[in-house]
Amino acid sequence: MAATADDTEEHMGMPGAVPGPRRRGPGRIATAVSVFGELLITAGLVLGLFVVYSLWWTNVVADREAHKQADKVRHNWAQDTGGPGALDTKNGIGFLHVPSMKNGEVLVEKGTSTEVLNNGVAGYYTDPVKATLPMSGKTGNFTLAAHRDGHGAKFHNIDKMKKGDPIVFETKDKWYVYKTYAVLPETSKYNIEVLAQVPGESGKKKPGHYITLTTCTPVYTSRYRYVVWGELVRVEKVDGERTVPRELR
Amino acid sequence: MGDERDGMYGWIWRNLPGNAWVKALISLVLVMAVVYVLFQFVFPWAEPLLPFNDVTVDNQ
Repeated sequence: MAATADDTEEHMGMPGAVPGPRRRGPGRIATAVSVFGELLITAGLVLGLFVVYSLWWTNVVADREAHKQADKVRHNWAQDTGGPGALDTKNGIGFLHVPSMKNGEVLVEKGTSTEVLNNGVAGYYTDPVKATLPMSGKTGNFTLAAHRDGHGAKFHNIDKMKKGDPIVFETKDKWYVYKTYAVLPETSKYNIEVLAQVPGESGKKKPGHYITLTTCTPVYTSRYRYVVWGELVRVEKVDGERTVPRELR
Repeated sequence: MGDERDGMYGWIWRNLPGNAWVKALISLVLVMAVVYVLFQFVFPWAEPLLPFNDVTVDNQ
């Protein structure tokens, strides 16, 4: 016992203390203190790891999943020639391209639940206000949400979008080219008015073909929502080579 | 029985078998196992409970 204890004893400032039962009192307190200290250090490390997890690892996982699903959608599009465009909502309905966000293409899937958005995709709203899909041809609002941080962080650079920036939505046979016309940098998370078919808050009064992107703000928190609105400028048919519209060149 | 004044990590270290190298190796494996469990199970469970990643507007 003495052999293992010698070292620590000197550090504890008790040189010459006789090893034996007499040490048990202060020893117990010292043990409690050092275990407590170690628990604090451990808690700090776990919190640090949680940051690594949320800001890095979830992106790795989500991007992997999004690529897999995007490949599947592209594959289905390539195979399914002719016939009426059967809308496969399960695997994603198309891709969102926003050059000013510099994040390539974002797969769009149905729903804005955590399970959907955590796959590194953008989701169109089904609740509380149903999105009007552009392929329906009807006037309305194509409302989308995606993560600002972690899980692919597809709308991370939403604050880089300015009025006039193009938002292009790609489906199997059409390019829907929208133009950003309004930005709401901060609003309450309860403000479902921004999803209205005619989003009055963006300054619009008449029905039209609108697109709405929502995500959380400020970065790394979910205190408010950031909203960007666009309006349909034109629709282009996809050609054999899937030539991208000039906004994406 | 050893000195228990150097906390739980010291206790783990003393109770690992082998020499310092073997102990270091086992420690590394233990750390990686803990990180794996955290990333795979604990954090995915804890994340939705924390208010960092809600991106939608809703009326709830």
